[in-house]
Amino acid sequence: MEAYVGYFLYFLSLLTVGGIYAIFALGLNVNWGFAGLFNVGIVGFAAVGAYTYALLTTASSTYHMGGFGLPLPLGMFAGMMASAVIAGLIGLICIRLRADYLAIATIGIAEIIKLILKNESAVTNGPRGINKIPRAWEHFSEERFYSSWPMSWFGTPERWDAFFDHLPHWYWQPLFAGTVLLVMYVIYRMLERARTSPWGRMMTAIRENESAARAAGKNVTRRRIEAFVIGAAIMGLAGAFFAQHLRLIEPTNTFDPAKVTFLVWVMLIVGGSGNNRGAMLGAFLIWTIWSASELVITGSIDLISNIFSSIDTSLLVSRAGFLRMMLIGILMQVILQRYPGGILPEVRPASPKAYQKIAGTTGETK
Amino acid sequence: MWDAFGFEFVNFYLIPGLVLGCIYALGAIGITLTFGILRFANFAHGEIMMSGAYLTWTVMAIAGYAGMTLHPLVAMVPAALLVILLFLGTDKFFYKPFRNADTIKVVMASFGMMLIIRSAVQVIWGPNQLTFVRGIAKPNSVLSDLSNDIGLMLIIPNKHLFIFTGTIIIVIALSYLLNRTRIGKAMRAVSDSPDLAHVTGIDVDKVIRATWIVGGICATAAGVFLVMDVQMLETTMGFRMLLPMFAAAILGGIGKPYGAVFGGLVIGLAEELSAYPWIGDAPLLSPGYKTGVAFAIMVVMLIVRPQGLFKGRSF
Amino acid sequence: MKTTLIATTAALLATGAMADVNIGNPMGMTGPIPDLVAPMAEAVDLAAKNINDQGGMFADGQTLNVIRADSACDPAAAIDAVTKLINVNGVSAIVGPVCSGAAIAQAESVSIPAGVLTVSVSASSPAITTMEDGTDLVFRTTASDAYQGVALAELAMANGFTDIAVSYANDDYNAAISEVFVQAYEGMGGTITANEAHEPNKASYRSEVATLGSTSENLALFSYYGSGGITLMRNALETGAFTNFIGADGMLSDELIEQIGAENLSTATFTTAASDSSTPSYAAWKAIADGAGVPASDPFVPNSYDAMFMMALAIESAGSDGREGLSEHLRAISSAPGEVIYPGQWAEAKAILAAGGDINYEGGAGNQDFDENGDVAGNFSKSVIVDGAWAAELIQ
Repeated sequence: MEAYVGYFLYFLSLLTVGGIYAIFALGLNVNWGFAGLFNVGIVGFAAVGAYTYALLTTASSTYHMGGFGLPLPLGMFAGMMASAVIAGLIGLICIRLRADYLAIATIGIAEIIKLILKNESAVTNGPRGINKIPRAWEHFSEERFYSSWPMSWFGTPERWDAFFDHLPHWYWQPLFAGTVLLVMYVIYRMLERARTSPWGRMMTAIRENESAARAAGKNVTRRRIEAFVIGAAIMGLAGAFFAQHLRLIEPTNTFDPAKVTFLVWVMLIVGGSGNNRGAMLGAFLIWTIWSASELVITGSIDLISNIFSSIDTSLLVSRAGFLRMMLIGILMQVILQRYPGGILPEVRPASPKAYQKIAGTTGETK
Repeated sequence: MWDAFGFEFVNFYLIPGLVLGCIYALGAIGITLTFGILRFANFAHGEIMMSGAYLTWTVMAIAGYAGMTLHPLVAMVPAALLVILLFLGTDKFFYKPFRNADTIKVVMASFGMMLIIRSAVQVIWGPNQLTFVRGIAKPNSVLSDLSNDIGLMLIIPNKHLFIFTGTIIIVIALSYLLNRTRIGKAMRAVSDSPDLAHVTGIDVDKVIRATWIVGGICATAAGVFLVMDVQMLETTMGFRMLLPMFAAAILGGIGKPYGAVFGGLVIGLAEELSAYPWIGDAPLLSPGYKTGVAFAIMVVMLIVRPQGLFKGRSF
Repeated sequence: MKTTLIATTAALLATGAMADVNIGNPMGMTGPIPDLVAPMAEAVDLAAKNINDQGGMFADGQTLNVIRADSACDPAAAIDAVTKLINVNGVSAIVGPVCSGAAIAQAESVSIPAGVLTVSVSASSPAITTMEDGTDLVFRTTASDAYQGVALAELAMANGFTDIAVSYANDDYNAAISEVFVQAYEGMGGTITANEAHEPNKASYRSEVATLGSTSENLALFSYYGSGGITLMRNALETGAFTNFIGADGMLSDELIEQIGAENLSTATFTTAASDSSTPSYAAWKAIADGAGVPASDPFVPNSYDAMFMMALAIESAGSDGREGLSEHLRAISSAPGEVIYPGQWAEAKAILAAGGDINYEGGAGNQDFDENGDVAGNFSKSVIVDGAWAAELIQ
């Protein structure tokens, strides 16, 4: 029985982390799929969102500033806003850059953000990071939350303590996973509406043929900055969720461009750039492959060592992690060449005029 | 006025800055040529540099088994050939399909190559560090005696002298190539205007191959010099060097090899000199931010003068 | 294709789970310090081998299975790895991770909520001491930096260094221990003439060395040897900026001697969470380690062996591989009263436990008696070069 609970919990974790990456991918889709902006600084916005959330919602501590213990939704919202503001500043400066220049600039800026977070230890506790970050739904079972308003209205700390002792230790996991998926869905709906709206069509026009759009009088720069900021805000929110999932963030290893930025790009390309559903699909698919591949590789190495008991497999095990990365990279190259649109290619919203065609005049339907 | 100030400044800041600058310069040459002729930012360049260094190590190790000790500069030659093959291979399989497509695709492909090459190196050689030569490098005695006589004091170990000479030789060779040979002039033509070059009958494919070859040689040299300087070979070298090299290429102007050399030297010096206590006792910039210097310069250049100091392409 | 893979995996894992005792071992195999971690992993495997060779677990001789996962010194990877270890592989307990950040993250995020015991092999952040709120699930076989920093400060004062410059690598371990050192040193009346961070893995530290070198003759260097520590020392020695060096675990390695040369290291003293090498437990450890080709005194290597050995003893003492209640057994087997057990003495320990007796494991890295926070007190040794190799001397 316990094994099945275990499998269920692992499945939940795949949904949770996949969902967080899906939010990242949706944000990147706004940048890339809508507006054609080559943003390779995902990690920077994630870090901003994560640190803002952490500094606002953790308890006060001698190690870092902040620690105001604010309510979680407020912290997440603040993470989004902080990320949006930073993106706005960057956008004002960099948005005119051509594709690969923008890529280089955004990577550089993400690295600078990480350096600042690392070196300003008085604010962020530097490389040691911030821990005990409260996680949605799990935080209710922490003493500092149920001893204070509003939970203290509903019962004394002792009663809450006893209540939580009765729940299975994983009670918060389905709730947290559900929250992430719900937020992801809400963002998806909003982006779908944006895509089919006039704004979305204008973004497509700008992306496809900038000079024509400009000639038609569209303020291209402003639209681009809007797309950049909105995408970054979504990434900041994803960063805040990421902080909750990890419960400890630090500037060097957590926000490694190879893991976060590259992985999200692979997800978007494989799933289908320009397509919101593709972004989500890509996220879940690639994350599951990434996570499960470790099990498969370890299992195969075990199998090999059982069959050929004379071979020392410790070398293989220590190199297995690198093998994973290599395979994901090759997967992306293959997809890039064979299926450039991804699994779910972009779907252009139909023009409103199509609905107005009077059936029978030309014999066409939409 | 060669008192403590000058001695420290030259030996501990200026010379290391120049050494680093040479390494950045060589790497940036490859990047700027790729950028100019093939028109994309090759993110895999740093990893190629690193593979060149690892291949050199392997050549030295094999030679060691056979009982010979090769100097890294000698072992570099077969390694460079292998790197050229690696470059041509990745071009054929991963970049060529996107030659006429969006630049984005080929940049993504290069990003992917970066991870593939780095992981492959980690799988083959393992994550531990390796080294070319053990021990610490004492200053070159001839030079320090000589300079002592003039009243200066230069502490430059042999390895740095090799790096300086090597860089100068490569730059001279490059300039000969670009100015005196047909293929070099063809490269410059394609870099300035590909359509016109095509019209005049230049074989663009040949030019592209030449670009990879030159880039490969410079990248291997850069990688080997870096390892000679640091005396340590490990797998994160490539990415660490990549962004400063991009900065150098952008600073100098895309498509201008001399600009790249100049840019490389500037960035190298800036990085080392930024920690000098120019004002008062404390370093000007906290050493933790040293790596940020190159990024900052790059971002500023991109905004203020994207065509670089030597007026390269700006798109 | 994918379903077949999943089915095969499930089958593999299921068979694994049934007849063996499984212990999860997340280590930073990839990430910033793979060269440091490789011998630690070897030590863990050595412990398991000793155990399996000497009769295995429980009366029926079940195999002790070490399931290694890659935590990459990264909180996210550690959480993913431990989630899989706990939920899919169904391990009884966790030995690892290596880095403090990864250890704290996985504990707070996964193992404490799941009620699973964790013994970290080398996480030395002071934050771990006060990490838990009422649970007793996180232990470590390495002393907190809070102790070693103080020991180092005392060493500096004892060596007559009235002023010292500090350079620390900007990562969680080195930044933490350098801060403890600075506070302790100043508290003892010493002067810190400069205190700068340096980025790990850089090609040249000459400017850092030059800036610091002008302020003092002595340098306190907190860095991992493989992530720039060797380079920094090399730069310092080449330029003659410093005469004396002290530092902590991360620098103590034979690799340093190999790359820089023993003759150049005569004025360097490094401390490490030691191994009192005069104790019989260390001698036992060294014999085993040398026999298996594992470097006996590399940083955290004996600690890794101890962690795995003690975890197995705890499970053996508990009589079953269930997760609950392991903490009490861990405390019981690690401290007095009880028969003293040294590294490698699995068969003897098993016999005593089977007969209902008590044991007290003394490890290669110290006596490993846990305090109420799951920490161990530090034995620290200082090492200097003697005859071309590190010779450790215990600091009392």
